[in-house]
Amino acid sequence: MSGTKKLGLRQRYEHLTRGLDWETTYQPMDKVFPYDEFEGIKIKDWSAWEDPFRLTMDSYWKFQAEKERKLYAVLDSFAQNNGQTGISDGRYANVLKLFLTGISPEEYQAHRGFAFTGRHLRGAGARVACQMQSIDELRHIQTQIHTISHFNKYFNGIHDFSKMHDRVWYLSVPKSFFDDARTSGPFEFMIAIGFAFEYVLTNLLFVPFMSGAAYNGDMSTVTFGFSAQSDESRHMTLGIEVIKFLLEQHPDNLPIVQKWVDKWFWRGHRLLGIVAMMMDYMLPKKVMSWKEAWDIYFVEAGGALFQDLARYGLKMPKYHEIATAEAEHVSHQNWCTFYQYTHAANFHTWLPDNEHLDWLSEKYPNTFDKYYRPRFEMWGQMAKEGKRFYNNALVQLCQVCQIPMVYTEPGDPNTICFRETQFNGQRYHFCSDGCSDIFKNEPEKYVQAWLPVQQIFQGNCGGATIPEVLDWYGYKFGEDNFDYVGSPDEKLWNEWHADKIKAAS
Amino acid sequence: MTYQLVVEPLGERIEVAEDQTILDACLRQGIYLPYACGHGLCGTCKVTVLDGEIDHADASPFALMDFERAEGRALACTARMKSDCEIEADIEEDPDQRRIPIRDFTVTVEQVEDLTGDVKGLRLALQNGPIDFQAGQYVNITLPGVEGTRAFSIANPPSDNGAVELQIRRVPNGKGTGYIFEQLKQGDQLKLSGPYGRFFVRKSRGGPLLFLGGGTGVSSPHSMVLDLLAEGYTQPITLIHGVRTQADLYGVEEFTALADKHANFRYVPALSSEPAESNWQGARGFVHEVAESLYGGNFEGLTAYLCGPPVMIEACVNSLMRGRLFEKHIITERFLTAADAEKKSRSPLFKSL
Repeated sequence: MSGTKKLGLRQRYEHLTRGLDWETTYQPMDKVFPYDEFEGIKIKDWSAWEDPFRLTMDSYWKFQAEKERKLYAVLDSFAQNNGQTGISDGRYANVLKLFLTGISPEEYQAHRGFAFTGRHLRGAGARVACQMQSIDELRHIQTQIHTISHFNKYFNGIHDFSKMHDRVWYLSVPKSFFDDARTSGPFEFMIAIGFAFEYVLTNLLFVPFMSGAAYNGDMSTVTFGFSAQSDESRHMTLGIEVIKFLLEQHPDNLPIVQKWVDKWFWRGHRLLGIVAMMMDYMLPKKVMSWKEAWDIYFVEAGGALFQDLARYGLKMPKYHEIATAEAEHVSHQNWCTFYQYTHAANFHTWLPDNEHLDWLSEKYPNTFDKYYRPRFEMWGQMAKEGKRFYNNALVQLCQVCQIPMVYTEPGDPNTICFRETQFNGQRYHFCSDGCSDIFKNEPEKYVQAWLPVQQIFQGNCGGATIPEVLDWYGYKFGEDNFDYVGSPDEKLWNEWHADKIKAAS
Repeated sequence: MTYQLVVEPLGERIEVAEDQTILDACLRQGIYLPYACGHGLCGTCKVTVLDGEIDHADASPFALMDFERAEGRALACTARMKSDCEIEADIEEDPDQRRIPIRDFTVTVEQVEDLTGDVKGLRLALQNGPIDFQAGQYVNITLPGVEGTRAFSIANPPSDNGAVELQIRRVPNGKGTGYIFEQLKQGDQLKLSGPYGRFFVRKSRGGPLLFLGGGTGVSSPHSMVLDLLAEGYTQPITLIHGVRTQADLYGVEEFTALADKHANFRYVPALSSEPAESNWQGARGFVHEVAESLYGGNFEGLTAYLCGPPVMIEACVNSLMRGRLFEKHIITERFLTAADAEKKSRSPLFKSL
């Protein structure tokens, strides 16, 4: 060993980050950081912040550049080899439609949100970490757009994903989720997105999509998944540091953080219903059931996390047991909804075939045969008789999660769950106690919700008929919507595989 | 087949099985490396291989780039060793940790005494020179006919460096302790190596100290307290030693004498299962309960050193954190027996607790 000591990684990093921070003098610090007190979070000592990772800007660019080179090489070869013809089935493309219109825009929202916290948190260590994540999120949406744009050349429904995200009825669910987070203070955003979303729930969002892509022959999406996941480590460690830091800084922070954890767990659980449906119904080759994924990633991994967090006095999120019970139902209830409203969706639906029904029966022994299989079989019978069932009524939406009120009472899958409350003389409706609690805690915020159904009735969505509204959404009627069977997507897929189909018959 | 792994900047040397990942080996030896996904996708556990050959196994090409592989980087969670290795990990070097090379010693059993019905005190004289160690560290002993080594904390202070004193409780059906209780006698020769471990007093931090020892877990605090008092540490030092009954208590006279002599040292023996009607005048309850009542449930400002069986450590950590003392100020040494090796699923929330 030589006598002179090198600076440790930690010290080096501190010099390059916090070492560049300063106390402002032209303006008081409280004016420079105007948003980090109103939420009630008390920070005694920002210097106690432990940098969750030590990556400096220059090495950051070097890393990301190589990731991009790798990813784009795969995308190029996927395109040159007509990879779209090698996916498991044409139905798989609908998973990508859901992803690009429902999830990718949230990467952009996350980018904006972390840019905000990266500006407004007073601690330099936290600011630098947020800025880095902000750039990551921008990279994620960009690579996702580039990856999926190849599919847009062949499949319908994703030609105008950004506009759809802003307007389409069910896409207001993910949109309002992030709008809620982004209109919160910086600390709530960090718990909502940094901790609850990026740490507790991220595996339930990305693993299903990326494993789904791998199982279904979509190498390009798998590759952007890997590329993004290599950034996620930083996001997860940032989420962990945030919650520890807040809980250690002041005892008064605990009830505030608990309330946020309760809220964002429930909101996240509601949002993930769409992933549940994708896993159980939309992947031609299944990875695992939603229930299995929930047990692994929430019940086990989340359980271990909250067991450790209990040392701080933090409890399991409120209604977690209801969420776990709903894992037996949510995918079925969502797919039933989209099947009935297939004319209003920008992706195609279908009835599960017998093999698929058997798989669901096996994966959901407690619920599927009893509550859902008969429904699908009845719809199948109706379709055979030329009476394919469409639901033409506009649905009532939950004021908070904005999901149509299709979920059932805890413990009673035959009764729709309705909750309501009054505020300033108006009545508001909710899908659950979880959403109702969130409203009651901040009614002034949620009365402002842009609810797609109400907006249609108010005449703000292009007209009074379904085709007019769909036109305003940016749909090509008869191409983007309705069942997969009989769609242009199906026709194209069958043309690609005409030889195989001929050989088989 | 096992290989030797040196983990810098700690300078720790551990054994790693051929098919074991570096991360797994480190975590099992109490060396925390930052990690998250555990299967080569995220890159949190990236280390630099300074020497030796490894197999990257399933490391994702996005989590570990080609240029990084060329620069000798590896993911600890997938890397398997192909030779003895030296790695540098992103862990902080503690300013109070001294780098003491681990040595092999031949020792002669100088004394075997019964401290209680199931605890023996050994004094082992070192044959080949004195041992340099930090109070709180441990040694590994090789016992004749017993596979592997057994770890025991050094109970004597570093100033008494010609011998090591160990306090050993008999583990029911334990092979190693069985040998010590039934066969070991004065004059026997044994092999040991040391010193090991990161359980030592962070002296540079200063401030009041709380030592919590369960059973023979008092051995390290014994060494640490003697060392601190001899050095003239002036801040308050409290030792709570928890055992089941009066019959299980040992070391009372020595600690009481120290407390009488040093105004800043407080000694609190605590009994968890002492019959209610006995003559015991001291504290009753588990270590964490006694600590809570002693400090009114508020531990802010202390640095706590915990040494004992896993259940006791867990209970104490919970009490301390409820009393607003957090990971940075809680230093632990878990006494694991072969039976404790069951793997509980944990989150990456805490590094060392």
